[in-house]
Amino acid sequence: MPPPRTREHRGHWDRPRAPSGEEAPEKWDWNCPETRSLFEDAFFQDEDYIRQGSEECQKFWTFFERLQRFQHLKTTRKEEKDPGQPKHSIPALADLPRTYDPRYRINLSVLGPDTRGSRRPGRRLPPERVSEFRRALLHYLDFGQKQAFGRLAKLQRERAALPIAQYGQRILKTLKEHQVVVVAGDTGCGKSTQVPQYLLAAGFSHVACTQPRRIACISLAKRVGFESLSQYGSQVGYQIRFESTRSAATKVVFLTVGLLLRQIQREPSLPQYQVLIVDEVHERHLHNDFLLGVLRRLLPQRPDLKVILMSATINISLFSSYFDNAPVVQVPGRLFPITVVYQPVEAEPTVSKSEKLDPRPFLRVLQAIDNKYPPEERGDLLVFLSGMAEISAVLEAAQTYASHTQRWVVLPLHSALSVADQDKVFDVAPPGVRKCILSTNIAETSVTIDGIRFVVDSGKVKEMSYDPQAKLQRLQEFWISQASAEQRKGRAGRTGPGVCFRLYAESDYDAFAPYAVPEIRRVALDTLVLQMKSMSVGDPRTFPFIEPPPPASLETAIRYLRDQGALDSSEALTPIGSLLAQLPVDVVIGKMLILGSMFHLAEPVLTIAAALSVQSPFTRSAQSNLECAAARRPLESDQGDPFTLFNVFNTWVQVKSERGGNSRKWCRRRGIEEHRLYEMANLRRQFKELLEDHGLLAGAQALKPGDSYSRLQQRRERRALHQLKRQHEEGGARRRKVLRLQEEQEGGSSDEDRGTAARGAGNNVDIQDVKFKLRHNLEQLQAAASSAQALTRDQLALLKLVLGRGLYPQLAVPDPFNGGRKDSDQIFHTQAKQGTVLHPTCVFASSPEVLHPKEPEARAGEGSRDDRDRMSSRHQLLTFVSLLETNKPYLVNCVRIPALQSLLLFSRALDTNGDCSRLVADGWLELQLADTEGAVRLLAASLRLRARWESALDQQLAHQARGRGQREEEEDEEEAPVNRQEVAALSRELLQFMASKVPYSLRRLTGLEAQNLYVGPQTITTAPSLPGLFGSSALSPHPTKGGYAVTDFLTYNCLTSDTDLYSDCLRTFWTCPHCGLHMPLTPLERIAHENSCPDAPRDDPAGAEEATPEPQQKTSALQRPYRCEACQKDFLFTPTEVLRHRRQHV
Amino acid sequence: MAHEAEHQPLGVFECQLCSLTAPYSYVGQKPPNTQSIILLEESFVTKDPFTPDKDRFLVLGSRCSVCSRLVCVGPECSLFYSKRFCLPCVQENVHAFPQEIRHDLEKRKVPWKRPASQPSTQA
Ligand SMILES: [Zn+2]
Ligand SMILES: [Zn+2]
Repeated sequence: MPPPRTREHRGHWDRPRAPSGEEAPEKWDWNCPETRSLFEDAFFQDEDYIRQGSEECQKFWTFFERLQRFQHLKTTRKEEKDPGQPKHSIPALADLPRTYDPRYRINLSVLGPDTRGSRRPGRRLPPERVSEFRRALLHYLDFGQKQAFGRLAKLQRERAALPIAQYGQRILKTLKEHQVVVVAGDTGCGKSTQVPQYLLAAGFSHVACTQPRRIACISLAKRVGFESLSQYGSQVGYQIRFESTRSAATKVVFLTVGLLLRQIQREPSLPQYQVLIVDEVHERHLHNDFLLGVLRRLLPQRPDLKVILMSATINISLFSSYFDNAPVVQVPGRLFPITVVYQPVEAEPTVSKSEKLDPRPFLRVLQAIDNKYPPEERGDLLVFLSGMAEISAVLEAAQTYASHTQRWVVLPLHSALSVADQDKVFDVAPPGVRKCILSTNIAETSVTIDGIRFVVDSGKVKEMSYDPQAKLQRLQEFWISQASAEQRKGRAGRTGPGVCFRLYAESDYDAFAPYAVPEIRRVALDTLVLQMKSMSVGDPRTFPFIEPPPPASLETAIRYLRDQGALDSSEALTPIGSLLAQLPVDVVIGKMLILGSMFHLAEPVLTIAAALSVQSPFTRSAQSNLECAAARRPLESDQGDPFTLFNVFNTWVQVKSERGGNSRKWCRRRGIEEHRLYEMANLRRQFKELLEDHGLLAGAQALKPGDSYSRLQQRRERRALHQLKRQHEEGGARRRKVLRLQEEQEGGSSDEDRGTAARGAGNNVDIQDVKFKLRHNLEQLQAAASSAQALTRDQLALLKLVLGRGLYPQLAVPDPFNGGRKDSDQIFHTQAKQGTVLHPTCVFASSPEVLHPKEPEARAGEGSRDDRDRMSSRHQLLTFVSLLETNKPYLVNCVRIPALQSLLLFSRALDTNGDCSRLVADGWLELQLADTEGAVRLLAASLRLRARWESALDQQLAHQARGRGQREEEEDEEEAPVNRQEVAALSRELLQFMASKVPYSLRRLTGLEAQNLYVGPQTITTAPSLPGLFGSSALSPHPTKGGYAVTDFLTYNCLTSDTDLYSDCLRTFWTCPHCGLHMPLTPLERIAHENSCPDAPRDDPAGAEEATPEPQQKTSALQRPYRCEACQKDFLFTPTEVLRHRRQHV
Repeated sequence: MAHEAEHQPLGVFECQLCSLTAPYSYVGQKPPNTQSIILLEESFVTKDPFTPDKDRFLVLGSRCSVCSRLVCVGPECSLFYSKRFCLPCVQENVHAFPQEIRHDLEKRKVPWKRPASQPSTQA
């Protein structure tokens, strides 16, 4: 084979035209941009290996400059003479080039411009320069090959060195012989990345690997794709909620447990998989535990399905025995010896009794390390603390210490940090300086940091615990388990021998529980129960969980779902429940989405639902910053937090869509973490797709075509964005940086600016912004945002109704003495929990006056500070998204709603006295109305509205239920799910109802009062002669409360009180304005007559509908004859009613 | 399962000296997706896994022109000097090579001792 050609044929060029314009070729200037661009034109075209203008091209020129300098030094070296040896006998060695030249060592060649068609502009370049350039290019390409191959070889070496590498064959062999295999090995043994690759190599092609966290799915898919050298091929993919890289070629897919459960829901036998890897089973996540139960049932039906359970070496026998003593392949960890030092924290009397954590025991460890280990001996420190507050307490003290000694860089690590800040823990400290990472238990199993030599274990963890009685999530501090303590210790021995300082006594350790409490014993089980119901796995109470949940939690969850209307009284899924089970969101959020789409408020509800599903975007540090607070003020809504978030998101979108709008700066100025807004945008889009998928929202309308110019413009913009993104990606993933010592001054705050620094110098592109604009249709978002700003008062009021109904029964009533309390001391009571407070970021914490039931015309003077028994038409309740207990029980994300109207519309149980002047809602809130007549009218109106709202919702759900599959065929019949006019009329009347002004008092019943609320079942049951008082409903005696059940929620005259004894005596003469009837009547009798008076004008359509004694309510064309084979009866049913009926027979 | 359009692995390359393995997607002298580069030996090529650009290739190895062993391009296994030679063959015929290459081989021997500190294995 000839050596690479480096010489050009002479005389191929006309005239040496150096772009500098000079005639003298010896004055050649490689740095001249024109020269460079001439060569780039010749060698770096679109079809070439390096493209003009790319980052690669820049890299080449940098390389070129270095090579030039290097060769300049080298030319002075004397050339070696040909040794003149005889020709070698081996032919391959016989024709080696005699004179050494480095180019002979390069195994590739670059074609010159002259050999590639005459279009190339390079033909006029001077040949010496061309060969000089080509030579450099050769070296550059060779360098790139060597570099990439070096990385590949390193990667393979590292893979082979992983502890699990020795066990690959054994795992495959065991899997051949058994259906279930448990692979146990500690973090770092490589099981998560390697086992899927062993399966790939063994020829499996339908492998699913579940992960508890979405982020792990993405990173593992990347890593495994990378290691199996198909990073950008498609053999390895991931699938998380609405985001998927999966294609037909995908052989291994990483997905979340939740998503796999949804796939099982759709196809219970999981036909699409051969092998299922369930990773991190030891973490005992709720859905993982459930998945194990489902799989145990599935395995006998799918004998060909293989399951690999992967676990840390924690409680392995539990998993093995749950699956019929499945074989265990245990991979020994790679641990260096670790010295354990018990250093219990003694009670230090000098510390004030503040709840803040004393940082001194932690500082003593830093000091001890400084004293004992010379700085040149490397090794970083990892401190396990229970929560964010503890981290910031130690952070502050440790940074002060670090700034004295200059030997530490202190970094926080917890899940609320931005990704860029989290990544900093992987950076390296400068020589002589150690990293001190203050972490929650996130670093226990999820995040692996190299180079840790010292571990400090506080022995504490903060976990959500759940109080099923109060339905309250509590963030509480607990002692960790022995298993966790061992995991924490192990972090010190991954790269060399280490030390673990335990800030507790050995006797404490011995008293720790062996394992952590599984999630199923700690959290609310609503979504789990809902999912179980929709998967028809039978009664949740008897499901064979690996460890059963506490019965009380299950009962609470079932009751909650019944309260929320997701389950009916026989615990079967209602239509709304089965829809909620399909929406992978919290039950209340799902309800809001459904209700919002019905009232054509989908766009604003989407934004609010998304905003309520992510962490608060308001940064902590900005809370105390007055400037931030002032800048934020115009965005605040006195309706409540969800509306403030709504404003923030919409304004942010506007800023983004302005030309040159700098949203990053906008956010920073207001103390807003922009990352959360990006999350909201993503979630909003996902919710929208969900609603479209379920037929609750018409699919995206094609944008107005627009003129060709603007279309061209749009395409051009998109192309530019794509290029920016590509450039960013070519710039490579974030590389490890050396931390600066001063870094600590900026503290642990998550400042977006530092994210910018990570983006690489000189590159001022906000890549998040670029990605956002590529991902979302900004024009559509902006249209939604500006229409949001133009929301009418009515729409806003409807929106509040939607939120209120969605969040019901999560209500809190203001304490009657709030009027006399300081802003921050406002107290609220929920049905189960007294004395809850507002979160400091809550709008009502800063302006509580909007909650006070002041009458504008009422006494201007002081009056009573007690709001109890105060008559007002403006009492308000707070409805909230969650109740969270940290050091106090906080109401999170509150909206204020009018009390009387909301309770009338939403209560599950509404009880009245004889003249309806006293109402008790859900057995805990008492309303006393001044005017009986007004009370009855309002009550009757609420009954009508509820019935109509219910039936509209039913139609909406029925549309949804049969939409799947049939929608295309019946397009004409069902353009809109619910008749637009009907909804408009309903909306109008609901608004009228909400605006009604009736003075009343509002009071939370005492425990004793609540116990003695009802008169109880009556022996003499005389139906009251009040036909038509509550529309056409027939009255029947209530079996337990006494009084009469009017509807499933309203019970008339069941409250113990003395007024009804006299109600019959309250008759006064009255003349009916319609028929002229003149009689002594009680107020109730009067209304009853009016409702049924034959001569009364029927102007009110709602009233008319209810008053006409039609046996069948108007339900629409949706009803079809239905014959039930089980009960041998014929019915006229809507599709939902059919479902409901059928369920009775199951 | 459907086929990947490009870079569908043809097989697995394995170096006969260091047993490095990697799937390859092309064998020959004209790597796919580029016209301007020619390989000077019959090479086993894969897509460069370290860049998202799908046109970039990576040469894994080729056959030794003396003994025909399949070797990787790693400096511990082979070298290229107008042809591919596995290191055992180079050692055997070291005098057929110019001084520069002999120098390089000498130099390489010294620092290329693997660190022996293997961590202990604990259960
Ligand atoms: Zn090799
Ligand atoms: Zn050889």
